[in-house]
Amino acid sequence: MQFLLDSFHSALLLLWSVDPELVEIVSVSLKVSSSSTLIASLVGVPAGFFIAFREFPGKRLLMTILNTLLALPTVVIGLFVYAFISRRGILGVLNLLYTQKAMIIGQVILIIPIITVFTISAISRIDERYRKTAMTLGANALQTAWVIIREARFAIMAAVIAAFGRVIAEVGISMMLGGNAKGFTRTMTTAMALEYDKGEFVLGVALGIVLLTISFGLNIFFNYIQGRARV
Amino acid sequence: MLYELNNLKMIYGKRAVLDLPHLSVEAGRIVGLLGPNGAGKTTLLEIFAFLLGPTSGELRFHGKKVDYENNRLRELRRRVVIVQQHPIMFTVTVGKNLEFPLNIRKFPKQKREEVIDELLDLVGMREFKHARAHNLSGGETQRIAIARALACQPEVILFDEPTASVDVENQMTIERIVREINQEKKISVIFTTHDMNQAARLADEIVFLFEGRLAQSTYENIFSGQILPGENGDPYCLVQNTLKLGVNKGNMGPVRIAIDPNAIQVSQTADEPPPPNSFKGRLVQLTEEKNKVRALVDVGVPLSVLISKKELEAMSLGVGSSIWLTCPPESIEII
Repeated sequence: MQFLLDSFHSALLLLWSVDPELVEIVSVSLKVSSSSTLIASLVGVPAGFFIAFREFPGKRLLMTILNTLLALPTVVIGLFVYAFISRRGILGVLNLLYTQKAMIIGQVILIIPIITVFTISAISRIDERYRKTAMTLGANALQTAWVIIREARFAIMAAVIAAFGRVIAEVGISMMLGGNAKGFTRTMTTAMALEYDKGEFVLGVALGIVLLTISFGLNIFFNYIQGRARV
Repeated sequence: MLYELNNLKMIYGKRAVLDLPHLSVEAGRIVGLLGPNGAGKTTLLEIFAFLLGPTSGELRFHGKKVDYENNRLRELRRRVVIVQQHPIMFTVTVGKNLEFPLNIRKFPKQKREEVIDELLDLVGMREFKHARAHNLSGGETQRIAIARALACQPEVILFDEPTASVDVENQMTIERIVREINQEKKISVIFTTHDMNQAARLADEIVFLFEGRLAQSTYENIFSGQILPGENGDPYCLVQNTLKLGVNKGNMGPVRIAIDPNAIQVSQTADEPPPPNSFKGRLVQLTEEKNKVRALVDVGVPLSVLISKKELEAMSLGVGSSIWLTCPPESIEII
């Protein structure tokens, strides 16, 4: 117990001193996770919108597949992407393995289902009257879609934040595709795993604090925006 | 003709929600679609708004056949606007809600405020301009929805039950606004209602709808019942297991009947034994209606009867009096 308290104390000191290694790890984490969340949102939100609004054959099957993909383990994605981008893979010539791009590819695959599924449920909950109102007021298909997305904005934002939380906290993809190279692909989670392997807890605990603080800050920000809109 | 429809059918599943051989609506008037719940009023209104296409049949707008195949409906939609029964506001301010149609139509930005203010004045809600549209009451929402519809500068405004969810004060205001829209802005108005009095007050012309079909007048005293063979072979209709109504004709089995409130006879006493189709009941409500009086009589089921004022005075009836009603078989229509 004393050991944990000591680590916690040293971790706070490390944070206070703004350790350059720590800053580097945090910035790599944020950069990779934000990129993958942005890309996945650009794909997942329109896809969710389309699936929620259109009837097409195989829609139920697609929904089932998407729901199954919500439970996709990061190591499976790691393995799958590795098979494509390793030197022996068909995309091997691109030299993607152990780069931030490789991590982003894996993370995008991880969270597209999350964003899509939550967008579908957010859009489906929006009252049918919004669509009819926009149309009768003369809106075209795109303007109507915009109205509905605007009404569902908080639920969609929650989906994006959940997805960000998922990628910033995952370790499997970052480790397998990034390789935990110091200064390049070392993220908060891979660094923590490494520190654990070394039996050193100080940096690990410090990173844990940062990770939780980021999530906490994001949620406070989200609540603030939502609260302002409700007044 | 503003609208003309021929052999129009709207079928959901196996049920024909609308089945209209022919109907035409003239431009520039206020037309009321009158009918009970489930008559197909809202569906017809949404077809007029080009939000729904019929299952079969044709709709003509200004004589031109509406083409549902090609994506040309938006041009038509920009000339017609519907105000729904429970209008929904976008979660922005009242002013921004009114700006939406202007924005879509690329209305010059510097003139927008002026138009919005003018419309808010028309519905008497100028002070709500910066209020959040979601916090308005039912009547206020309805009035803002009308202003928002007017911002589209339409040829036709369709109102679905414009006063169904508002209080009496707002009801009067809304009816006044509807008249103004028609008379001063020369916009054609079609509205639905289940309230005969409102239809009579507001409409230049009334179209009666019942279960998706056009009717001669509106049906009243509508009951579900069962036609059964009587002891002496004369069929009767059993309503709610209490009322036995002798009918002229009809196939055995479940039916819906309507009893004409003008054809029911009222008396204070009855011969002994009472004549067929006579029921003793208690007078529970009296309301004035044009030159007649509508009496609601509880005879096991509530029956609405129209009697002349003279008759009422002669019988010195009051709420609570017990009276006899006689429904001649010809007053009962199987629908």
